[in-house]
Amino acid sequence: MARRAVILAGGQCKWGVREAHLVDLFQEAAKACFDDIPTLKPKDVDGLIVATSYAGRCSFQVNTAPVIAERLGLKPTSICTRCDTLCAGGSTGIILAKGLVEAGMADIVMVAGGEKLYTPQKWEVFYSELASVDHDWDGAQGMGLPPPFFALTAKEHMKHYGTKKEDLAAVSVTNYNYAVDNPVAQMQKALTLEEAMNAPEVVPPLTLYDCCPITDGAAACIITTDEIAKKLTDRPLVYIRGVAQVCLNSVTANFPGEHLADWKHLRVAAEKAYKVAKVSPSDIKVAQTHDCFSISEVIEVEELGFCKKGEGGSFCSSGQIRIGGKVPINTDGGLLACGHPFGATGIRQAIEIMKQLQGRARHQVKDADIGLTHNLSGANAEHTILIYGREPVK
Amino acid sequence: MAILGIPILENLYPVTMDMWPVQAKEFNRIWQFYENLKQGRFTTTKCKDCGKVAYPPRVVCPDCYSENLEYIDLPTKGKVIIFSEEVRGVPLGFESPLIHAVIDLGVEPVRRLLSRIVNCPAGYLKEGDEVQLCVFPVPSHPIEKGKQGTIMVDRVFFAFEPVKKP
Repeated sequence: MARRAVILAGGQCKWGVREAHLVDLFQEAAKACFDDIPTLKPKDVDGLIVATSYAGRCSFQVNTAPVIAERLGLKPTSICTRCDTLCAGGSTGIILAKGLVEAGMADIVMVAGGEKLYTPQKWEVFYSELASVDHDWDGAQGMGLPPPFFALTAKEHMKHYGTKKEDLAAVSVTNYNYAVDNPVAQMQKALTLEEAMNAPEVVPPLTLYDCCPITDGAAACIITTDEIAKKLTDRPLVYIRGVAQVCLNSVTANFPGEHLADWKHLRVAAEKAYKVAKVSPSDIKVAQTHDCFSISEVIEVEELGFCKKGEGGSFCSSGQIRIGGKVPINTDGGLLACGHPFGATGIRQAIEIMKQLQGRARHQVKDADIGLTHNLSGANAEHTILIYGREPVK
Repeated sequence: MAILGIPILENLYPVTMDMWPVQAKEFNRIWQFYENLKQGRFTTTKCKDCGKVAYPPRVVCPDCYSENLEYIDLPTKGKVIIFSEEVRGVPLGFESPLIHAVIDLGVEPVRRLLSRIVNCPAGYLKEGDEVQLCVFPVPSHPIEKGKQGTIMVDRVFFAFEPVKKP
């Protein structure tokens, strides 16, 4: 019988401004992960995929996988490697782990992602952002820190589709309020529309709550086969039904859409992921979309097919992303409130979707059987989608 | 109090931490792009076999994989499609206001080039404004040249500026 990948368990450490080293954060996340599945012991894990992007700049550490394996007490025999796709690193790790366990090259893989971004001097992490985009072209144009790029994106969406600042604020308010009771989120603040509308300016039209914070944090999850999972847990199995990772450009001059608010690469990714997972947008009961900025979520609900192109603003501000709406999104707080330690984000998203599909989420979506996670990474250079389900693809 | 650097790095220029591209011939096969910039020319590579014009410049054609490429001139004037202005919190290495614009140089593949706009105060730029290439020097860096010792290499970079002076 074909081997089918499932997400078995997961956990994260407290995210925020942490008085801790990168390897401390990974240890806390791995502990939280094993706490989620007491029947699984570190010695049972035969593979480790580490997702971190800033270790080289902020912790002066490349080749992180052996470092993390050793500190976590793991002795991998199938795979022990690191992947770096910046904001999508955790999701990339899950995709790779799925491929490995389904191919029979590994049985139980831990995917662990994390970043230590609060350096003793803030300028060092800000300066290192020049490496997050195409360095010689966009970095040298001052596009390292992302707010200007997403301000341009927001202005294009407003210009072409009439989206209003209130629509952006509605995303922030929704996601912040999902995180008020999330003890591991960076921001646990009840946000009002008035506060969001009157927040300090970052790069117009973006203000404080439109932008995800800088975050220290780590997360870890276990990817294995359904047969192995059945021996370890009585919880409902959560299959990874389909995935897609699409890259059509790196330098912003080669952006694939008609304008910066037209995310063709996300449409291509969505089409492929839905096809492989044998589902359609209307089957998605709960989603985690990459809300690095409020405008991102507005565009993502369009390109993922949850509403028509151009209607993302009203979709979000009319409550369709809340519990009871058409597709509850970022039900743990998303990047905006949980924070965004790049390599860990995709794993946090996967854990929330796993919990939703197992009926144990903090803000539970009723009868959630199909869920989706999405990341964009770099200066909107890549889109990554995973679709999870209570049933495998038949 | 003087702020000291890492003692063993004193008087050394950490090129691998540099915000500007390493442009020297010894380290970059598209050095010609930067040499052309020094002449006020904004160029890229065109494939002499299939005709593909790629930006940024390449050493291999991304369409047909030919190495038979030539440098061609791109327009140095364009129009602002959309722009953003960052006044506070501008990152290290850049001055306030940090203005970015998507500009249309009128030909593919630079119909939507994202560039910094310099020599422009906050609140001055408008959509549709004409902008032109602006080339400026950026810090030189050392290269170890064996018996010749360490030499310094000059560098430039580019942005765009309003044609109509503020």
